[in-house]
Amino acid sequence: MKILIIEDEPELAADIGAYLSAQDYLCEYAGTWAQAREKVELYRYECILLDLMLPGGDGLDILDILKAQGQQDGVIIISAKNDYETKIRGLHAGADDYLAKPFHLPELAARIYSVIRRRSFGNQNNIVQNELKVDLSSRVVTVNGSLVSLTRKELDLLLFFISNKNRVIGKSALAEHLSGDIADMFDNHDFVYAHVKNLKKKLTEAGYGNYLKTIYATGYKWEG
Amino acid sequence: MKKLLDQSLRPLVIYTLIILIVSIPAYFLTIDWIWENELDKHHYAIREKLEKRLTSLDLPDNAVSDMISVLNKVQPGFSFTEAVAPSADSSYTLIRFDTFMNDREQFRCLMTDIRVNGTLFRVLIETNMEEIDETILAIAAVTIFFFILLLGGFVYINRKTSLRVWRPFYDSLASLQAFRLEGGKTEALPVSQVAEFADLNKSLTRLMEASLASYKQQKEFTENASHELQTPLAIVKSKLDLLLQSRVLDQSQMQILEDAYQAINRVTRINKNLLLLAKIEQAQFDEQQSISIHGLLNELSPQFTDRFESSDIRFTQQVGEMTLQANPMLLEILLTNLLVNALRYTPAGGEVSVYAGHRKLIFANTGISPLDERNLFRRFAQASPEHAGTGLGLAIVREICERYNWQISYDFDCGHHHFTVSF
Repeated sequence: MKILIIEDEPELAADIGAYLSAQDYLCEYAGTWAQAREKVELYRYECILLDLMLPGGDGLDILDILKAQGQQDGVIIISAKNDYETKIRGLHAGADDYLAKPFHLPELAARIYSVIRRRSFGNQNNIVQNELKVDLSSRVVTVNGSLVSLTRKELDLLLFFISNKNRVIGKSALAEHLSGDIADMFDNHDFVYAHVKNLKKKLTEAGYGNYLKTIYATGYKWEG
Repeated sequence: MKKLLDQSLRPLVIYTLIILIVSIPAYFLTIDWIWENELDKHHYAIREKLEKRLTSLDLPDNAVSDMISVLNKVQPGFSFTEAVAPSADSSYTLIRFDTFMNDREQFRCLMTDIRVNGTLFRVLIETNMEEIDETILAIAAVTIFFFILLLGGFVYINRKTSLRVWRPFYDSLASLQAFRLEGGKTEALPVSQVAEFADLNKSLTRLMEASLASYKQQKEFTENASHELQTPLAIVKSKLDLLLQSRVLDQSQMQILEDAYQAINRVTRINKNLLLLAKIEQAQFDEQQSISIHGLLNELSPQFTDRFESSDIRFTQQVGEMTLQANPMLLEILLTNLLVNALRYTPAGGEVSVYAGHRKLIFANTGISPLDERNLFRRFAQASPEHAGTGLGLAIVREICERYNWQISYDFDCGHHHFTVSF
């Protein structure tokens, strides 16, 4: 799956690329508005990561170009601007999601995963990993065909882990994912434990392949 | 505090009073001098006439002495005695009881000699004059009358003219009092034809413009600095996320990474809050709508449920229906910050409660000792040393309250901190 990273800060673009490339994503880069325009006009991507403040132009104009061409590429805006108006404008202009900098890479990976899933699989949106099956449209999880009843937060966590397959996720990324904007107002993220513990317990009881690993008590990894 | 206009009036009044008081003896001495001079002249004239007329009658000696004894008895103000030898004239003033007037009277007297038919007479001529004390009294009364007249005139004229002269000053003062840095624009000062006031207004306008410019610059600096920090923060965060993927990390290195995450989260939070403060100060978020406190709290509190549970804190709400006219984002930030604040500083096993009603919103949470109220709402001033927050949460709360003219107050009662917002 091809991803275009439109970001003028090369360090950040490289980090995003490094994180994503371990997950069957093929990343391309555009550091200026002109490069971005050329790429989106010539090639198609499953998902475009779009920074708004680019040398040479406004990132929102890239959305207009895509729209004018009738392209269906998924777009996630990644911007340092975190105000409500910009967010609304971006989503109105056709972006699928908006992620304010600074963000955790696992969060970005989860958003990309979700955008691609929504765009490419429509209603037939199942994630299958051996005996584990997640039906995204009905939000039902089964292991070996038997139902695992998960809370909304547990399902959310499960999808977060799956979309960051084989990557170690830190506690603060999990906390931020679970409680959004208010997460960074606290230093204590102990509540994450409780949710992960419950999720793991329910899946283990249903007999899944024990894919969720705890790494030194501070991080987690979904293997697959 | 003294008033400017009274300042100019006071010395004037004191000066006038002194001059008028000094004028009383001066008037008296002058009048007295004129009196005496005039009377003495008059007395000499009488003496001359008397001597001339008596001599021109050309009477025999015994007729003269008869005439004089008649004059002595009949003519008031004269007394004749025969004298042996001539003596010098004397003029003097004398106060004595007068049997005829039946009162103490003041007289001006001339003692002189006249010679009739070769006989020498000593004559005393007296004229009743106004008494010294009555004169002074009359002068004082007139002076006081004029002083009062002057005083009234001064006050009236001072009011009229000074007020007119100083009007531009008072106008400028009123305009300056209305000036607010947060308002972002200078106050228009009245145009004055007087050079000094025109200069003053020009300087004041320049001063206001300079203050506004530096205030704006300072705010822009905060905003720009926060913006510029976002990218390096994003890089550090992503580097940590990548570092976490390394296969060679051991447990202690993982712990270091975790600590680094905590620190970077804190910087992110401070940066976000600074940016938010700058935006509130710049009067962004001006769109308003009517919002139900009840609805908003019900939307917000589920986000906190996890936290309350994991910290073993009991959370209760007693929220009546109450709607406010405000910006939804700002109100949400206000409630969130107060909730976070209550949650963060409540010890495990404590309780947090929210009460809304009677145009009041009260956040109460368990606490040990009162907080330092002076530092509570100031930026980066931690009211309690045990917990490190961003030091901005309550500053933002206060800023939002000030924006809408709400009152935020703190008190400590029965082991609970209370933060009250009155609308």
